[in-house]
Amino acid sequence: MSDTASAQLKRVLHLIPRLADGEEHTLVDIAAKAETDPAELLRDLDSISDRFDDPGGFIEGVSVFVDGDTVCVNASHFHRPMRLTMPELCALELGLTMLRRERTPAEQAPIDRALERLRQTISRVPSNDRHEGTRYADLSDAGSAEHLQMLRRAIAGDRKVELRYRAGGATESTTRTVCAHSLAFAEQMWYLVATSDDGSLRFFRLDRIEAARALEETFERDASVGMRVQEAGRAFVSDTSKRMTIRYSPRIARWIAEREGQPLADDGSLTMEHPVADDSWAIRHVLQYGPDAEVLAPETLRAALADRLARLAG
Amino acid sequence: MSGTPKVQRWIDLLAALLAHRLPVTFDELAKSVPTYLADGSIAAGNPSPTLKRMFERDKVELRELGVPILSIGEEGSDESAYTLRTREFYLPYLGIVSGRGIEKPTTVDRYGYRSLETLAFEPDELEAIVQGARRVAQVGDPVLAEEARNAVRKLAFDLPLGATDGPGDALLVPPRKRADPKALATLGDALFRRKRISFSYHTIGSGSSADRTVEPYGLFFVSGHWYLAARDVEKDALRNFRVSRIDALKVNATKAGTPDYEIPRTFSLRTHAQSRQAWEIGDGDALEAVVEFTGDSGAVIAAAALGRPDSSSATLRRFTVRRTDSFARWLFSFAGDAMPVSPAALVNEYASLVERTRTIYAS
Repeated sequence: MSDTASAQLKRVLHLIPRLADGEEHTLVDIAAKAETDPAELLRDLDSISDRFDDPGGFIEGVSVFVDGDTVCVNASHFHRPMRLTMPELCALELGLTMLRRERTPAEQAPIDRALERLRQTISRVPSNDRHEGTRYADLSDAGSAEHLQMLRRAIAGDRKVELRYRAGGATESTTRTVCAHSLAFAEQMWYLVATSDDGSLRFFRLDRIEAARALEETFERDASVGMRVQEAGRAFVSDTSKRMTIRYSPRIARWIAEREGQPLADDGSLTMEHPVADDSWAIRHVLQYGPDAEVLAPETLRAALADRLARLAG
Repeated sequence: MSGTPKVQRWIDLLAALLAHRLPVTFDELAKSVPTYLADGSIAAGNPSPTLKRMFERDKVELRELGVPILSIGEEGSDESAYTLRTREFYLPYLGIVSGRGIEKPTTVDRYGYRSLETLAFEPDELEAIVQGARRVAQVGDPVLAEEARNAVRKLAFDLPLGATDGPGDALLVPPRKRADPKALATLGDALFRRKRISFSYHTIGSGSSADRTVEPYGLFFVSGHWYLAARDVEKDALRNFRVSRIDALKVNATKAGTPDYEIPRTFSLRTHAQSRQAWEIGDGDALEAVVEFTGDSGAVIAAAALGRPDSSSATLRRFTVRRTDSFARWLFSFAGDAMPVSPAALVNEYASLVERTRTIYAS
């Protein structure tokens, strides 16, 4: 099938019902409503008005009148959009499935209802079976769904939140007040992206938030926060100058290189620096690879690891 | 400006089908579709084979686009008749449930529009649809994103749905190496048509690439990456392939309109793809592991929460493990705050890990 023709038909079936009231519309307005540009809009209208002067048979088809920057369409049989197609339903279902995992049972109910209703809007054709069940999406457990619910509300209302949080290396929780900007899923984990009062960016792993409460106090949203997270490509943006150098053995280096976008050395190993905001994180990070990751520097971290390993062996 | 004659013909054909309440033969339909009249065979009372083939292709393509054209009688025969029921083609009227009842959109009181039902959505359902579409827009598959956008555009004909392009309340940060959108589109098409594909796959464990021929069963997005679930023809086994590691993708071009295989009815992509921990994935027998968590850092508490309680002690947690090596390394990362208690194989694996790592720092 010609992709151009099929894509164009979809656009035309989307367009005509918005125009087919016999009234004049400006091309700019309609292009904006159809989320297209005026030039493409004109091309699409042209594709269904080529044979305007041809004998039309007995059926009233589509007539299009373009006059300068306005357009008028008569189309008795296209006053409503077409039903949703199975691929369209499947795409929305994918998003709703992802959403469902992040929600409380009470919040899942409207998702299930929405899906049920969407199913009633699709057109039934034999090829539907070939789409069903061929896509799936699942991010991962998001920590407490109740915390997420509260955080989403706080984010929507630009409200500050009070968190009781236990950092990865901390043995005691601390309570802090932050401006909740957004939720982010990065490197297989959910985070709250927030700024503290001094404007510094902070990430809070959702599974380490012990309690969360929205405050009445609001804050002014900073549009650059989302950009900074996207640019960082991970849930870690640090201004620390502390670094550690790790050599990953050829056995595991390929995975790290792919994840970090780094080239391998000739022997297949990878040596790279990581910022270290927290020593306990550094130790956990290195030990997860066992003997396949070695801290080369700083010496203090090597000594800490040696000490920890001696105690484990003892 | 250049037009696309096919779109004109399709629109004419749809208008002709929608205008007839009862099924009509091709000869009758053709009288309302100017392109079909062009070769004069309809006027002569004997539709040409070329014209019939064109109509057959149009039907197939329109059905693939979701247009439910129904055939009465033997498909393609001179006697068969065709219909497109308005209730099955037009989007139902979509209303919103409010405190004052159901707010309905403006209706069209003529043609087949009168027979359309009204389907009422609750405001929280609309919110879910918009957020769901925003999630889809972020998973890195332009085809899926476009399908979701199309769906929302249709619904927005009646419903007050907001924009779906922004991230909404959650941002999915993409991995550095993303799946190629073209590869995702090709895989999606092959999956729909049930065509075998071949590609070069970079197996990161061995660091080498090898050619594979597979039958796609599904595409799934887990932990930020797209994977292809497919039957490896040579190995006769189900395998997962990370799409970003697929290269030189080719679809079997022979008999393009005929499926090469069927997906077994017993296969469930949802079950197959459900997120699991690394130690739960593998061909080994499942072991019941008991771990003692003694630390109280945030990392240790979150890790303990992944296990099940053990009735004998609050500090013990139980895990189902298929890969002891992977599980031991995970425990090792807690540097003594999560120690394996049983089985012996896991305890030994852990001890070996400690010893081998210690050697590195001994000098």
